[in-house]
Amino acid sequence: MESMQLESILNGRSSQPHQLIEVLQDVQENYGYIPEEAMREISKALGVPLIEVYRVASFYKAFKLKPTGKYVITICNGTACHVRGSQLLLDQAISQLGIQPGEVTEDGLFSIECVNCLGACALGPIASENGSFQHHMTPAKLRKFIESIRREEKKEGKHATASYEKRPGDYAEAASPR
Amino acid sequence: MQQLATRRDLETTRKQLLLDRKKIDKTLIICGGTGCTASRSQDVIDTINQELLMQDLDFSVRLRITGCHGFCEQGPIMVIEPGNIFYCHVTPNDAHEIVTKTLRDGEIIERLLYTDPVSGRKIQTEAEIPFYQAQDRQLLSKNREINPCSLEDYIAIGGYMALDKVINSLSPEEIIHEIKVSGLRGRGGGGFPTGRKWTECYEAPGDEKYVICNADEGDPGAYMDRCVLEGNPYLVLEGMMIGAYAVGATKGYIYVRNEYPLAVKHARLAVQEARKYGLLGEDILGSSFSFDVDVARGGGAFVCGESTALMASLEGKVGEPRPKDVHTVVDGLWHKPTTLNNVETWANVPSIILNGAGWFASKGTKGSKGTKILALTGRIKNTGLVEIAMGTTIRDVVFGIGGGATNGKAIKAVQTGGPSGGCLPVDKFDLPVDFDVLYEAGSMVGSGGMVVMDESSCMVDVAKYFLTFLQDESCGMCVPCRLGIDRMLEIITDITEGRGTLEQLDLLEELADTVTQTSLCGLGKTAANPVLSTLRYFREEYEAHITNKKCPAGVCKALIEYFIDPEKCTGCGKCKRSCIHSAISGEKKEPHVINAELCQKCGICLSECKFEAIQVK
Amino acid sequence: MLHYVTVNIDGADIHAPKGSSVLDVALEYGICIPHLCHVPGLSDIGACRLCIVEHITNGRSVVTTSCTLKVQEGMVIRTNTDRIKRLRHNIAELLVAEAPNSRAIQDIAVRCGVKKVRYPFRNSNCVLCGRCVRACAEIWHANAIGFVGRGKNRHVERPLNMREEFCKGCDYCIQLCPMTIPPCDGPMKPGEEYLCGKCESQLMITEDIPDSCAWCRLGEGFNCGRYAGLKAVR
Repeated sequence: MESMQLESILNGRSSQPHQLIEVLQDVQENYGYIPEEAMREISKALGVPLIEVYRVASFYKAFKLKPTGKYVITICNGTACHVRGSQLLLDQAISQLGIQPGEVTEDGLFSIECVNCLGACALGPIASENGSFQHHMTPAKLRKFIESIRREEKKEGKHATASYEKRPGDYAEAASPR
Repeated sequence: MQQLATRRDLETTRKQLLLDRKKIDKTLIICGGTGCTASRSQDVIDTINQELLMQDLDFSVRLRITGCHGFCEQGPIMVIEPGNIFYCHVTPNDAHEIVTKTLRDGEIIERLLYTDPVSGRKIQTEAEIPFYQAQDRQLLSKNREINPCSLEDYIAIGGYMALDKVINSLSPEEIIHEIKVSGLRGRGGGGFPTGRKWTECYEAPGDEKYVICNADEGDPGAYMDRCVLEGNPYLVLEGMMIGAYAVGATKGYIYVRNEYPLAVKHARLAVQEARKYGLLGEDILGSSFSFDVDVARGGGAFVCGESTALMASLEGKVGEPRPKDVHTVVDGLWHKPTTLNNVETWANVPSIILNGAGWFASKGTKGSKGTKILALTGRIKNTGLVEIAMGTTIRDVVFGIGGGATNGKAIKAVQTGGPSGGCLPVDKFDLPVDFDVLYEAGSMVGSGGMVVMDESSCMVDVAKYFLTFLQDESCGMCVPCRLGIDRMLEIITDITEGRGTLEQLDLLEELADTVTQTSLCGLGKTAANPVLSTLRYFREEYEAHITNKKCPAGVCKALIEYFIDPEKCTGCGKCKRSCIHSAISGEKKEPHVINAELCQKCGICLSECKFEAIQVK
Repeated sequence: MLHYVTVNIDGADIHAPKGSSVLDVALEYGICIPHLCHVPGLSDIGACRLCIVEHITNGRSVVTTSCTLKVQEGMVIRTNTDRIKRLRHNIAELLVAEAPNSRAIQDIAVRCGVKKVRYPFRNSNCVLCGRCVRACAEIWHANAIGFVGRGKNRHVERPLNMREEFCKGCDYCIQLCPMTIPPCDGPMKPGEEYLCGKCESQLMITEDIPDSCAWCRLGEGFNCGRYAGLKAVR
């Protein structure tokens, strides 16, 4: 674990317990999850009991205690999407990948997340990966989407959906599922 | 733009900006709000930019990227001034034609115009579109006038005039009185009278006070606050400053949920700019009023929309609510008097100050004044954000603005107020959107989410959905919420899987009542509403699940069967090929058959069949 | 110098020190309000909701927990109305259905009038009362255990499963835990849980004088506030 990054995150925040959530958010953004050593460092630096750091990290959905898969399939489970059949999408993802939401496939490639609303309700049901929104999804379309990622991954070895990675300009970040 | 250290600076700057605006011939407004972004409006923006450059029009045409216009179903949306020309479903391929034909030559492109689904005719201007006409867009209409990242735009359209008036001619008591008389009530869900809240905070002893903007917006299906904060962050800031001046606070927080990175970004930018030009900090506009704001992100917890949980989160702790025997306006953030209001509530404040309480109170009903933004979604033709005067009937919203049912199915119910609200059947659609009326009917206005359901929605399944959501989001501290919701969900799951008994319905009602009365916080106290309201109005659906072991809407998997209608099936074999459970058999060109024992009702075949031959019973 | 206020609980006017909770005042005076998460000497969090009472104010009746409600001059409280009895019964029923394998939880259920449990029994070994967590944090400031997770997933854990790094071996967590004593007939097998109904809390006496303290074994068993003077934790 690169301690330099953590140091810079903690810089200027020592002995400020109320900064705990902001610090954890920076760690999550940088590392993709909250490593145990990070929690120990944060506890010392901020003056918060270790159990409190662990408690906050386990309470909020934004913080993952384990690394996620390379491709995170996010299914929107907001009311509008639910009414349009998002449950079937979730069932499809679970059966196709063989994991439950929050888990990672054995090859480390995929994990499934559920989100409570991405704010694009007119286009539901929505499945998202790496910031790209796949709208008006059906179980069949989702199946094809996941398989296409697998194919691309085998071919290129780099991030198969990198082309969806967002774009310049201060205007148009699609909502991040986290 | 110069520093805005005094009122005169503000006035002269505003005048200059207005003159600059008048110099621009043509403005091309493109919506960069979430819905349109998901429809790839950014690609449209990029190609338009390129076209303008290539055709040397980038100096005479102003490209303004705005926040959400509300008509998300039609996105990406574009409006061209002068002429108020409205184009919808714009794609990057249209860029060249738009720039050449409309901007350069002044011609309208018919195929990009909006088609009214009822009359079938094409409508040219934004102002004539029925979806917009039926609304009262006090707040949302401002979004199209500004680029949310531009302080200049905000000042040009009259921004900070209300703050100016407040600082220099109104006392805190006068401001609070104005808000009281206006009848403004909390827009975040509670509907608590804002004037009363500010009075209590003003009267609370203490030198250090806070104002907080609750932008946690946890209700799934609700995104009004996101659009106001993303599309007009300065408006929210101005409202907060007026409130802070009134109650005596010098520090404020905007708490934005973690899932809204764009709103966080725009709020932070607005704060930065305001600080830079002297509209935040010490001695604002030449007065002795000092105020500063920080933007904080949530960690991903619906419960943090509850005021005490939000404050705990700001203090760096877990979002566990505290008992409110002493109100947060007296003992709030860091145990200091705190005024917490929702984004939309703050956004309404400047116009009340400028136009007067009477103007605000002239709209709406006796108990609910002003306008409310609703997130209208679900099984209707026009979905998106709508702003209506309080008192508009549900029917007018669903049919008048929403355009009625999509897919030809009959509308069955409307769910309002998110997980804390309830479902109302069609025979209640003549009720007005009013805090007290909807509460009496067993639902609530809540934050403004309104999901329309048709006969393909099972109301028991809807109750199950909300209970599952709340169980996931409960902080888990108190017994009635943690165990009560769990047991309610257990009973409802039994019902949806064919194991329900009629005694369980009585137990469900009693349990729901207990959870409502004994839970510590608002989440638990309102958790039973989806169950209670569906039991009240759709009891026959529950009974059908229990007595007949059938799901009338065809949703609950254990109680339905997929089958192929032999009259519609062409034997194309698509379903057989796509079935992952090998449950479909049949010869080519012969009607196929589903083996009910192998069928897992995953829905793949249903979505693949182009002949609607696969049915659910 | 203590300031006193007069509060009216169940018709009796009581002089209470300002700043004390309604629960403490009632117990001191001999009025029994069942409770679980309250322990004299530890902070009150209002988690179990068993100590609910009706606070009559401004013509309305508000149901709130007496452990978090501080006394104020002129306050009117009712601890044993039919409404409160029914609500307490339902909460106790939820608790015993969740964790029947504890004598304390069984006793509370019977004390609150639960005769039949309408939910399928489960066999949790923690009711999340938080006594252990608060004792660890507030008495020895060890912070060796705490609540982790949210909602259904909430549970008590050591930080990162580290043994003994913080624990001072004071054993208060074990002493205060209501789950440590099995029911009188012994631990129940999973799948065969039941409501024993044979508690030693002298239920017969309390049925006639429902809101009076009966010095029950239940209370003695897990440090009821009434025993604070006799058998305090410290």
